[in-house]
Amino acid sequence: MEKSIESIWKEGFVNDDKLIAPKVNDLYNQKSIDLVSKFKKMYKINVIGIVVFSFIIVPVSYLVKIPYMGIMMFFLFNLIIIVNRKTIYKLNKIDNTLNSYEYLISFKNWTDKLIDTNTKFSRFLYPYMFLTMFFGFWCGEIGGDVPGDIITNGFINEYPHTPLVFGFPLVFVGIMLLAMIFLAVVGAKIGKWDFNLGYGRIMRRLKTMIKDMEELKK
Amino acid sequence: MSNDFYTNSILPHSGIIIKICRAYTDTQEDFEDYYQEVCLQIWKSKDRFREESKWSTWVYRLTLNCCLTLVKKKKNNRQNMPSDFEQKEIGVETKTFEDESLNLLYTAIRKLSEIDRAIILLYLEEKPNEVIADIIGTSKNNISVRIIRIKERLKKLLDGKIN
Repeated sequence: MEKSIESIWKEGFVNDDKLIAPKVNDLYNQKSIDLVSKFKKMYKINVIGIVVFSFIIVPVSYLVKIPYMGIMMFFLFNLIIIVNRKTIYKLNKIDNTLNSYEYLISFKNWTDKLIDTNTKFSRFLYPYMFLTMFFGFWCGEIGGDVPGDIITNGFINEYPHTPLVFGFPLVFVGIMLLAMIFLAVVGAKIGKWDFNLGYGRIMRRLKTMIKDMEELKK
Repeated sequence: MSNDFYTNSILPHSGIIIKICRAYTDTQEDFEDYYQEVCLQIWKSKDRFREESKWSTWVYRLTLNCCLTLVKKKKNNRQNMPSDFEQKEIGVETKTFEDESLNLLYTAIRKLSEIDRAIILLYLEEKPNEVIADIIGTSKNNISVRIIRIKERLKKLLDGKIN
């Protein structure tokens, strides 16, 4: 007679002691690998995005007649790419034969350095971007006219005694300098905010995992 | 996770955890991952245990939830894999128990939907329908009807020696 599923179950598990539980160790092995791979993937996609954008912006800036902006942006993006290539190289150097905890700590140290570099770099990046956009607009072309010339001439007509610095009204230079100083001061915060926007979730997971692992070790 | 917590609070229930994890995995590697993940989730969620139910019931519920989440994650990952790899993965079957009939029953159980697997596992563990209904989050009557249908499906699969 065919056995019922209940009896198959009972007889199969007549002795529950035979069920051997796997050893609970290295819980975070796969999790750590997944987390770091996800970060690497996102980071590489970002760098590729910058490469593509840096090459697109040059012809586009010529088409919309703001070539100075395109060229300056091209140099800026390529500088970012060079810095990032160096950081990726260091990331790939992290020894994946370490145990999960040490691996994550090495990764965390690497991200801390990356955030530190980004923060320093942002102090220069945002003022430079502002300058680039300003010059792009100032030296560009609208309907055959150069906006910078129109504004300067209009300003000189209105205030004939205004002093000029390299052809720019002194007031404009002052405003630009103030704006750049402001961006240099808040640049670090913008950089951190920008980093968190992209990688914040992964960073929070990383911190939680390290905290859990430290607690597990106790 | 302290050894004490594992020994006193998880190990006595490792039997049911193993049985449930086996029902949701095809390979030994996956099984070990699921088991470890369940243990970790129990440890991490232990402070949320409010003693409104028995510790064992809470462990069943957590184990099932954890397995269902992992199955869902795995399905999502498979969708991003090349099709030939996916077929190879699904085709793997492991004989995990000494008893051949039990291996066959597990193969049949793995053919059921995720929720039906949970229901039949709890039923086979002789949990009352009220408890199963509470864990699954449905009515007792619904559980009774579903158990009959699941048993019929399993019987068909076993009679046809699984297809």
